[in-house]
Amino acid sequence: MAERLLEVVNLNKSYGALQATKDLSFSVQKGHIHAIIGPNGAGKTTLVNQLTGDIDSDSGRIVYKEHNITQLKDYQRARLGIARSFQITHIFENLSVAENMALALFAHSGHNFRFWQKSLHSSSIRDKLPEALARVDLAARAEIPAGALSHGEKRQLEVGMALAAEPELLILDEPMAGMGPGGTVELSKLINALKGSVTILLVEHDMDVVFALADMITVMVYGEAIITATPEQVRRDTKVQTAYLGEEA
Amino acid sequence: MNQKNRKISVIAGGALLLLLLPLVAVLLEETYFISLFSRIIIYGLAAVSLDLLLGYGGMISLGHAAYVGIGAYVVGIFFYHAQEMEPIISIPFIMHGSENALLVLPLAIIISGFFALVIGSLCLRTKGMHFIMITLAFAQMIYYFFVSLEKYGGDDGLSLYSRSSLPGLDLSNDLHFYYFCLFLLIGFLFLVKRTVDSRFGLVVRGGSNNERRLKALGINIYRYKLVCFVIAGAGAGLAGGLLANQTEYISPGLMHWTLSGELMVMVLLGGLGTLFGPILGAAVFLLMEETLAMYTEHWMVFMGPFLVLVVIFAKRGLFGLLTGEQNNNG
Ligand SMILES: Nc1ncnc2c1ncn2[C@@H]1O[C@H](COP(=O)(O)OP(=O)(O)OP(=O)(O)O)[C@@H](O)[C@H]1O
Ligand SMILES: [Mg+2]
Repeated sequence: MAERLLEVVNLNKSYGALQATKDLSFSVQKGHIHAIIGPNGAGKTTLVNQLTGDIDSDSGRIVYKEHNITQLKDYQRARLGIARSFQITHIFENLSVAENMALALFAHSGHNFRFWQKSLHSSSIRDKLPEALARVDLAARAEIPAGALSHGEKRQLEVGMALAAEPELLILDEPMAGMGPGGTVELSKLINALKGSVTILLVEHDMDVVFALADMITVMVYGEAIITATPEQVRRDTKVQTAYLGEEA
Repeated sequence: MNQKNRKISVIAGGALLLLLLPLVAVLLEETYFISLFSRIIIYGLAAVSLDLLLGYGGMISLGHAAYVGIGAYVVGIFFYHAQEMEPIISIPFIMHGSENALLVLPLAIIISGFFALVIGSLCLRTKGMHFIMITLAFAQMIYYFFVSLEKYGGDDGLSLYSRSSLPGLDLSNDLHFYYFCLFLLIGFLFLVKRTVDSRFGLVVRGGSNNERRLKALGINIYRYKLVCFVIAGAGAGLAGGLLANQTEYISPGLMHWTLSGELMVMVLLGGLGTLFGPILGAAVFLLMEETLAMYTEHWMVFMGPFLVLVVIFAKRGLFGLLTGEQNNNG
């Protein structure tokens, strides 16, 4: 039954002399929550950007649903059902919270060359909008310009927009960072509820969250994937303990 | 009074003022005001179209006058050939001149829009400073092209001797012409307002703030920006066609970067991304020019500091001051 949704083969990216990702290879099973962990600067965000097409890879291959997407542009990959949240918040600060969410919801309902009807009245999103906002606890803030939200609320919106795009592959780059304890618990529940229906690639520093949620974990150190295994195996692995978990303990 | 009502009152007040102004001018026998405010309405229309780029699309074009000029030349060239009774082109088909506003104004819109499509499709491949400079470069190219057209007066331009004709109205009558311009301005505002609030407008406004997020949502902003650029160019073309009628004169000066700069000043004065603000900006700019120019030809010496003050202290320009609205566009 295990079906591969994403396969990464020998992926590389250098910034000058610094090799941010080094011969990365691993695959993600459909329906899994696959966590990527590693110390600061290990190359996790670089990997995410390579997967989404935000940056071009130097070499290697990205296979999504049996298609080689390595050469596709970022927006083309998004249209194939890959959504992401950014570690550094990327929201439309000049638009209202509802409008932000609407743009994310529109992603999967046809073209945007609609000039007449008011955007928020569009039938394709009207029903989904309240739910999408409520899911990240922003229903009461719908009318406010997103730029005026608190830091934590901006993080909620950031993650909420990635969820709203109804992706097949959801890539979350440290979604919990800056959310506060309450937000972290809520978001863990949310991610857990998506388990099975959406494949999730989760970059996260919070080990409790990772070990509670993940089906598989890839550990990155200095740009390299030193192991891809189940949480149990990762916990017991000596390489991981010395290279990474050992440092924290 | 809440902000929304306050905004509606300001807009309604402005509309009422423009609607009644000619009647007051006639009563006071100051009919000169009618032609002055016709000019304000036309420049206002051009400034609104520029606001679509500056305030909503985040596209800083320093060549917007090119489309005003092209619109004016379309009207002027058709007029000239109608007068001379000589076809504009005879190969591959014969095209005659015309004075009919119902023909030449739509043509001014379409041809300016077409130029915006071609120029925009090249300019929008660049960003930031490059975009500003390349829009300017194209506008200057068009300026020099028309300077070199001896047939249409070159540097000196061309006098038209009368205005376009329109069934049911006499555009040579300043009162008729005024209401005709006002009607077109209101129509354009209505269209732009719908566009800005639509799903298309949402994409354009979002793209001006965070292009990377838009791409992550699967939206390639380029085509949306281009369509926005064309709408703005077409609007400027209409303003140009009206301006040719208003002054009964066309010249390459209409395409010069100084006019692009003046339009930009009107948008900033009135309020970036406020839609109605640029009309207020055009009014303040032209009224200041009109009054200060009586005392000194260096009237810009006063305009400059005034603009600086407005830009620093009123984020949404004079319109924002009136409505009490300081952020959130739309
Ligand atoms: N645009 C860039 N130019 C140069 N170096 C970069 C660039 N982006 C990242 N790096 C470097 O590449 C390495 C990997 O960075 P990356 O952001 O991928 O790490 P990360 O695992 O996401 O770290 P964190 O846990 O802090 O988010 C770091 O040493 C970083 O300084
Ligand atoms: Mg990172």
